[in-house]
Order: sequence, then structure tokens, then C-alpha cells
Amino acid sequence: MADWRAPLMSAVCYQDPKAAIAWLEQAFGFEISMLIEDADGTLAHSEMRFGDAVVMVGNEWTADHKSPKSIGGKNTQTVHIQITTDLDAHCERARAAGAEILVEPATQFYGDRTYRCRDPEGHIWTVAQTVQAVTREEAEAVSGLKITGWV
Amino acid sequence: MADRPALVACVFYKDPIAAMKWLERAFGFETTTLLTDAQGKVGHAEMEFRGAPVGIGGNWSGPQLGGARMESPASLDGAGTQFMRVQLTDGLDAHCERARAAGARITAEPEDQFYGARTYRAMDPEGHIWNFSQEVRVVSGEEMERASGLKIATSLEEAGHG
Repeated sequence: MADWRAPLMSAVCYQDPKAAIAWLEQAFGFEISMLIEDADGTLAHSEMRFGDAVVMVGNEWTADHKSPKSIGGKNTQTVHIQITTDLDAHCERARAAGAEILVEPATQFYGDRTYRCRDPEGHIWTVAQTVQAVTREEAEAVSGLKITGWV
Repeated sequence: MADRPALVACVFYKDPIAAMKWLERAFGFETTTLLTDAQGKVGHAEMEFRGAPVGIGGNWSGPQLGGARMESPASLDGAGTQFMRVQLTDGLDAHCERARAAGARITAEPEDQFYGARTYRAMDPEGHIWNFSQEVRVVSGEEMERASGLKIATSLEEAGHG
């Protein structure tokens, strides 16, 4: 059988998934690749593509599925966006679209430049670009952490 | 880390080490990276399934998150804000039995779906929901629309929201 799907894929819950889809296009450049609606126009399922990856955007479809907006800004899971060029420009585009920038772009001990933002319903997105190669020993020395399995 | 996927999830737990042991046993995930501080507390961890990474973290909050909080569903009466879909190539029913034997709560038993996949859904000990899917049949968009009564589009414009 065809096996084009990534082994792991996130599904993100929103109170208003259609508004979220439009925002994710504008802020991050995600592109809608599938949109499934019922006869009343209620969104049943959607998928957005970014590079070679896919994220599913949906509603609060059971009592256990909540937008952070519905539970005081809490997140039980987040998505990390890995880009290859110009992290600072990515951040400015997100800011212009209305993202709340929680942590401004900064280069981290493990060699990635990152920023972190919050979307209009409170999901947290961390964006990273690798800007320098760092060995496990270097990262341990700088951070004071013990690191197992660094590649 | 040049060939990481463009999107990688991170899942938060009250007890990330216990969660990682459970994810290894129940789902066959493998631990690939573990960052711990001097007290042995997990800073960040990564696991892999079929070569794809997933981050594992502990509950956290602080100035770096503004008013946001990262919390396990176990701290939120079972609510979750994102979920994972796990794509299997074969053996979905056996995978479900392995998960059940490890203590997963199976909230949807293995079943064929109109869109050509066989799926099951499991809740882990802290309440995260994992959706497992295996393609068993290729179904065209038209066939899916007929079988489900849903409208299927590939853009907001096509769906009439342009």
C-alpha cells in the first residue's frame, strides 16, 4: 500500500479551525492540502502542508479535545517548526500576522537560532533554524546538562 | 540535524521518564536523546518511531512562555490541545493488542474507515490520545464524498471560503 504519510503527524484543535487555517497560511506560510466539510459547512478534517511535512487542523471534536483558548492558555502538546533559512524574517512575518512573540529570536547553546510565539487561540509554536554545528561535549559544557544520544 | 522533518511535535507529561518507558513498551517508540539536569530532571527528550522524531517534555511554565503553560492532560482533567497520528505500514491489530497489554485505554477499537484506512485510538496513562492508522485500500475523493456525505476540497477557495 502507498505509504506517503509521515510516521508521526500532529493534529491541532481550535475553536474556529477555518480562521486558524487562514491565519496559519498568512503567518507561517502553511498551505491547505485537504479540507473536508459536512453539508452545513462544519469542518470535519483538514490537513496543511509545510515543506515535506503535514499538520492536521481540527475543531474541539470531543470533550477531551480543547483549544488552549478554552482551558486558560494551557498546551498539552506543541509543534516545533524547523526552517532552513532566515529565521528572523519568519518571526517578522508571524508578528505582522498577529502572533504574540513570547521569546524573540536568539541563538541557543545547541546551535539553533529559535523564537517562540503564540497563535490567536493560544497554541505555542517554536521555530528553529540550525546555524552552527555543536558537539555533545560543547553543548554539555555550555548548558550544564547531561546529554544522552546526541547526534 | 539537517534532515529533520519541517514539523515535529513535543508532548508534555507530569512524569516524562515513566511516559518514555511506557511509550517504548506500548507503542515500540525508541528513546534517541535525553537531556537531564544535575538532579536528573528531564530538560528535553526525543523518541523515534519508524525514523520520525517526537519530543517528550515535562510540565513547565516560566517567563519564556508568558502566560502560557505546558501541561499534561493528567493535570487538566483529561483535556488535550493537540493529538498525534501514528502511521503504521502493517500489523495495526497486533499493535493495538501490544498497547492494550501495556495498559493503554483503547478508546476506539480497530476498524476500517470510509477513507481507506484501518484505525484504532489509544489513551496513554496520562491521557494523551494517540490515533493509529494503516492504509488498507486506496479510495478516490469522489468515492469518499459519496460514502461520507462530506465535501472534500484541496483549498479554502475550492470550498467556497476564498
